[in-house]
Amino acid sequence: MKSFEEKLTNMSKPEISQLKHQDMLAKAITNAKDKSVVSLWWLGIPLYLIAAFVMKSIYIPQTSWNSSIRELTGKQGYMAILVFVVVPVLLIIINLLTIRRLFFLYGNTKVTVFIKTVLVQILIIVLSFLILIFYFL
Amino acid sequence: MTDIELLNRIKNNPADFSELFKLYYKQIFGYILRRTGDFDDTADIAANTFFKAFTHIKNFSYKGISVKVWLYRIATNEVNLYFRYKHKHSSLFERIDLADKNIFNQYLYEDRKELEKELQQHEQFVSVLESLKTLPVKYQEVISLRYFEGKETKEIIEILNIREGTLKSLLSRGLEKLREKCNQI
Repeated sequence: MKSFEEKLTNMSKPEISQLKHQDMLAKAITNAKDKSVVSLWWLGIPLYLIAAFVMKSIYIPQTSWNSSIRELTGKQGYMAILVFVVVPVLLIIINLLTIRRLFFLYGNTKVTVFIKTVLVQILIIVLSFLILIFYFL
Repeated sequence: MTDIELLNRIKNNPADFSELFKLYYKQIFGYILRRTGDFDDTADIAANTFFKAFTHIKNFSYKGISVKVWLYRIATNEVNLYFRYKHKHSSLFERIDLADKNIFNQYLYEDRKELEKELQQHEQFVSVLESLKTLPVKYQEVISLRYFEGKETKEIIEILNIREGTLKSLLSRGLEKLREKCNQI
């Protein structure tokens, strides 16, 4: 067994002297990341809306989530549609497309690892759905 | 520059990831080539390794293991995935935007020619590798790291995240199996 170990250790092995594609690949990977990331700041939009209405329903007597939305709808109909329908729908579409792109970019990877990677996108989609549900309730 | 300094630089400016490429890409590429023996698969796996390293570098905290060990760990996982799901393997090169695909393909072609020539000059290694590839992955990784990469016990334990006893038993059983395979040729 010793001689077999020595044979494995001492036999010549292929070595890499130069890789011409290296620099271009480094640049492409850096660019791919820049384009694939949806900033955590996007979470701020649905979180701000939820927080504002929750605070209002807690601190202002005789108000609730629904009544706040109805009030806004009555006063500024277009604004309500923009904030509670258009923005969440857009966020859902953008994030679904991002998840799809990341899925293709990652290739074979464990489901758990992939879910961790796209956790922010999933959170934004869930929050956006919640806003849509609350609006149409 | 230390690992910590490099990591901080990359975390502040992702473009500095190219520094990590300069330091470790060739080494990791060589490791993967000596595991697979195939240029195209090696290029795909190495690209995936560095892509995953780049996407997770913000979460990497310097807790005892070096960046090099971390890269070897990702590369080892990628090679293992490759052996497990080879038929589903897809190339990162088709999914990322390359500045000039023609030039990149030309470079890749030249690198392939060079390394195929290099592999041909090491017939004995290629023959041992072919036998090694018929063994379960758990034996392949320990034998490759010890005898092809010349890694010490401590480093292999860190890369594979296993105990010293486990490593010794895997090496002993793996070597026995590999010797039998080599003798059959």
